[in-house]
Amino acid sequence: MGRTFAAVGPLSPKRRFLSRLFGGRTDRVPVGNPTSIATVELQQVTESFFPEAHLDGEKMARLAAGGHELLGYDTVMPYFSVEQEAAALGCDVDWGAPDMMPVEHDHPFQSPAEALLPGDFLERRPIRAVLDAIALLKQRYQGRIAVIGKVMGPWTLSYHTHGVQNFLIKTLLEPDTVRAFLDRLKLVTIAFGRAQLAAGADALCLADHATGDLVSPETYRDFLLPVHKELVHELGCPLILHICGDTTNRLQYLVEAGFDCFHYDSKVDARTAKGIVGDRMSLVGGVNNPETLLRGTPEDVRREVFYALDAGIEIVAPECAVPLTTPNRNLKAVAEAAQEYTDAVMRGADGR
Amino acid sequence: MADLKAIYDAVIVGDAPKVKGLVQESVDAGVDPKAVLQKALIPAMAEVGRRMKAQEFYVPEVLIAARAMQWGLNILKPLLAGTGLEPAGRVAIGTVKSDLHDIGKNLVGMMLEGAGFEIIDLGTDVTPEKFVAAVKDKRANVIGMSALLTTTMPNMKKTIDALKEAGVREQVKVLVGGAPVTQRYADEIGADGYAPDASSAVDIAKSQLGI
Repeated sequence: MGRTFAAVGPLSPKRRFLSRLFGGRTDRVPVGNPTSIATVELQQVTESFFPEAHLDGEKMARLAAGGHELLGYDTVMPYFSVEQEAAALGCDVDWGAPDMMPVEHDHPFQSPAEALLPGDFLERRPIRAVLDAIALLKQRYQGRIAVIGKVMGPWTLSYHTHGVQNFLIKTLLEPDTVRAFLDRLKLVTIAFGRAQLAAGADALCLADHATGDLVSPETYRDFLLPVHKELVHELGCPLILHICGDTTNRLQYLVEAGFDCFHYDSKVDARTAKGIVGDRMSLVGGVNNPETLLRGTPEDVRREVFYALDAGIEIVAPECAVPLTTPNRNLKAVAEAAQEYTDAVMRGADGR
Repeated sequence: MADLKAIYDAVIVGDAPKVKGLVQESVDAGVDPKAVLQKALIPAMAEVGRRMKAQEFYVPEVLIAARAMQWGLNILKPLLAGTGLEPAGRVAIGTVKSDLHDIGKNLVGMMLEGAGFEIIDLGTDVTPEKFVAAVKDKRANVIGMSALLTTTMPNMKKTIDALKEAGVREQVKVLVGGAPVTQRYADEIGADGYAPDASSAVDIAKSQLGI
């Protein structure tokens, strides 16, 4: 790990983040958030609250900026929920409250034939808000901070628009229907991803929840791997895949898909994961949300950050969108621990 | 002659039409419906649970097996009514207030039903009052609460408090589960049991009821 700290720099947060995204040299361990770190506390400090911050580009950008300016992260990521596309595709979404994430109330697509990309998709409010926020953040930081965009992949969009249980059972009973959903909905992912890149995103996080808690590695390989390969090609940008839950037994396929980086859940052991993916794909994550960030102490956070970095992961981050009542001090502790680890390595103290 | 092993096998591979046909054949041939339930359907779902734990089965495989079991059960239920066969327990199950995620709750319900429990499915977004009413009015002796969100987990504790307030806490075993829920959290809020997955939920429910 120490070998990647060159006597260079200081690097801008964006250079630091992107360099490690590709496994390169850096001046210190980057701290990222491929998923949301918006908390109730952060909403209060930035005076930008849910649910408005999901649908208003300016408020969204202001809240996302808090991640860098108040918590010390090298990235900003303005898409806080998982429902922007679902809402734009016609799901009835309850946008929640400062302490509640949005959820969808229905699943409007009965069949793949209904899963069409609307002509005005990019102009629909939940989509426009994200694009506006990215453009504002790009302008605010003049390219020095990494602006991460986020898109839902076709697997997750199928859950939202067709229902998780309906969709999963069809992987066995109607595999052609599943493939047809993926073929249609990947166009939504590509359109939204490209628009975020055009608006100024430096990298994209693709959330596509084919998790080991729900489906087998073979299901990922047979249905989603070819689609993910296509998305890697079509989006053509620095791309981070996010899947919650235990994904250990499909990491090899994620490498094969060609992702630059994988945002892993704490159910995946960092050492095991690094052993599987090696230098072929970077890893971002390392800090557990419900136990450590929400209910633990800065010392608990530090211990997990050090463990993940000792295991060789490239970028530290919360494992997933953080619980909204997470204390900011624990989120700051992620950045502080990354700095402390870097200092220790630079002193030759082997990370401690 | 009815072949209970064939029913067992068809449930495991999730062939619902075959299960329906075989169960019908069995009862038509005079096989005791209780035997079909206890020697084919329940053991098959136990095997499904084992395979799930061993990561040989994932959610889709469990869903089709449960569906097959259900098709068989639909034939048996009217025949079993009035035989004096008591369910292993009456479980009122639901996703807690403000939480709309249902797949975990559904899986637990399916596995428990497959183990011979009677399921009272309260659905999602279930208020503490509805859980209390299930104990009072429907004689549930187990409550199963699910939450996928850290923001809705506190409603598990609110439900336990409501059970205490209504004076029925001692009549039921309270089981909790869901992605952010842990044994530590279950202990903190005073739940009787925590299950990390659907098939463990069956073991926990049985051990809590002393079965």
